[in-house]
Amino acid sequence: MTDLVGCIAPEKLEEYRNVFVYLENRNGKISRGALEMLGKGKEISVKLNEKVVGIAIGQDLKAVADEAASFGCDLILGAELSDFNGFSSVAYTNIISDFIFEQKPNIFLISGSREGRDLVSRIAVKCKTGVAADCIELDGDPTNRLLIAWRPSFGDKTIDQILCRKHRPQMITSRPGSYKLPEKVEKPDCETRIKKVKVGKLVAKHKILEFKPKTRLDLTSSKIIVSGGLGIGGPKGFEPIRKLAKELEGEVGASRPVVDLGWIPYEHQVGQTGQTVRPKLYIAAGISGKIQHIVGMKASETIIAINTDPDAPIVKYSDYFINADAGKAVAKLADEIRKYKKAHLVEADSEQTA
Amino acid sequence: MAIKIIVMMKQVPDAEEIFIDPVKFTLNRAQARGIINPSDENALECALKIKDQTGAEITVLSMGPPAAESAIIECMGRGADRGVLVTDRVFAAADTYATSLTLAASVKNLGEFDLIIAGESTTDSGTGHVGPGVAEFLGIDQATYCTSLHIENDALVAERDLEDGTEVVSIGLPALATVLISSNIPRRAKLRLKIDALRKGIEKWDHDTLKLPPEWVGIKGSPTVVGALKIPEERKRAAKRITVDQLGELVKELGGMGLIKTEEEEA
Repeated sequence: MTDLVGCIAPEKLEEYRNVFVYLENRNGKISRGALEMLGKGKEISVKLNEKVVGIAIGQDLKAVADEAASFGCDLILGAELSDFNGFSSVAYTNIISDFIFEQKPNIFLISGSREGRDLVSRIAVKCKTGVAADCIELDGDPTNRLLIAWRPSFGDKTIDQILCRKHRPQMITSRPGSYKLPEKVEKPDCETRIKKVKVGKLVAKHKILEFKPKTRLDLTSSKIIVSGGLGIGGPKGFEPIRKLAKELEGEVGASRPVVDLGWIPYEHQVGQTGQTVRPKLYIAAGISGKIQHIVGMKASETIIAINTDPDAPIVKYSDYFINADAGKAVAKLADEIRKYKKAHLVEADSEQTA
Repeated sequence: MAIKIIVMMKQVPDAEEIFIDPVKFTLNRAQARGIINPSDENALECALKIKDQTGAEITVLSMGPPAAESAIIECMGRGADRGVLVTDRVFAAADTYATSLTLAASVKNLGEFDLIIAGESTTDSGTGHVGPGVAEFLGIDQATYCTSLHIENDALVAERDLEDGTEVVSIGLPALATVLISSNIPRRAKLRLKIDALRKGIEKWDHDTLKLPPEWVGIKGSPTVVGALKIPEERKRAAKRITVDQLGELVKELGGMGLIKTEEEEA
């Protein structure tokens, strides 16, 4: 428990150095989001002339440490749990906060995965500091040793710069998929310090009764995505979208409002609070293009927008704009692709016979 | 004795247009119509289901401007027993630390409780940080991303929806849970209950009630600040207009870009 006191700032900010990265892991593998954070952490640490320090909690951390080292981690602080198997925000918050109190990091990057988001504000409260959530751009200011974080503002067309000037560590999250995966370093040079930790007392009443694994749709590495928004009219509007996606051998995406309405499960959601995607082709059908959606798909190579509103914000993010009813245009597009494939096959056949 | 549940609810703007104060860089919420934050409706529904089954005393706790009273009355119209609005000019423009602190102080002021339920995140800032922040201030365990909640003996049993599966967890009470929008379908308010609620009224607390110094709350008590705003720099795209009749041409272009696989190419 943390005393109910205001966010008192430390007196000597200059004592706080280095960039912490939380190495979320399962079965000895670091999560994609954490690897992205490690890449960003490395970049910022070099710019600020600091070190990037990986924080890992789990059962067997050898593989995690090796993987983090290969991506340029300078130091790994690990806590191996000897009496608990699984995740508990109370236990993890305590362990991570102890690392923070002991090491006094300047910056702390945590992936905005469900685990990361579960943890991050507990850690911030315990360590009396601030967090910027779901950032899409990060940079370091070497003069003031500040983390410059940008996140889309609510409801509109701006991006906010969030600063945590007087409190340490400066904490942020970014959604997995926000950045490219980092390159491996040629000569890893990393010190690893792993300690055994007992958390029994903290988790005495925290019992994981069951875990039902399920493979969830991962759009972050999809090549082609066809997404539907409110303009498709209803849950049935996803039928032509699915057909088109199938024709293109792609996946189905969606905007947040239609997920909130229950037209399609969350795993299809693209955008700030869904998945951040960067396919070769992104088709936005009946999606108006709020900034929260745009930030999740604007890195796509080619974007086709279909909308009845010629002034919808999505238009200026599109390479091709079809001013039409989403359902009809999607169905027609699928037909044309079928025709194209057929023609292509015929051509290929005739070439073979010739 | 019936268990005591606190539902944390926020009124959020419904309108698509949000106005940003160009001087203070804060949101001007006054110009948009307020609604109950969608996943907070699911949080209330979870509490009401527990009340239906085993009985419970439900308090709706909200922090916001005086206009948020209507959202609390709506919650009481659905079956909550008591409404508290934490409202004070000094609470304005709080970040998640200051908001969590203010709500945690409010929970303490309510006295004993068994369970706090909140929506997973709000639609206006969407951080999802306030629930866990409150839990940390209160020193209680939490279950986030829940799709179902029930009370068994002195524990909360929750199903948590995670990226790679569903976790069923049992945590000791008192505890905090955040629920997803997919967890249930919120009921409608009953006219009779709403009239009762209007008659009963809600309680309004300020920083004096909570004994919180003004420098701990609102913008002064917030470690994060908005430094600047920018209009996103976007890669310029052509937005080439295509009519439905020209889709055949578009498909040829896509084919030329290698985006349409034919069986021949796969072979």
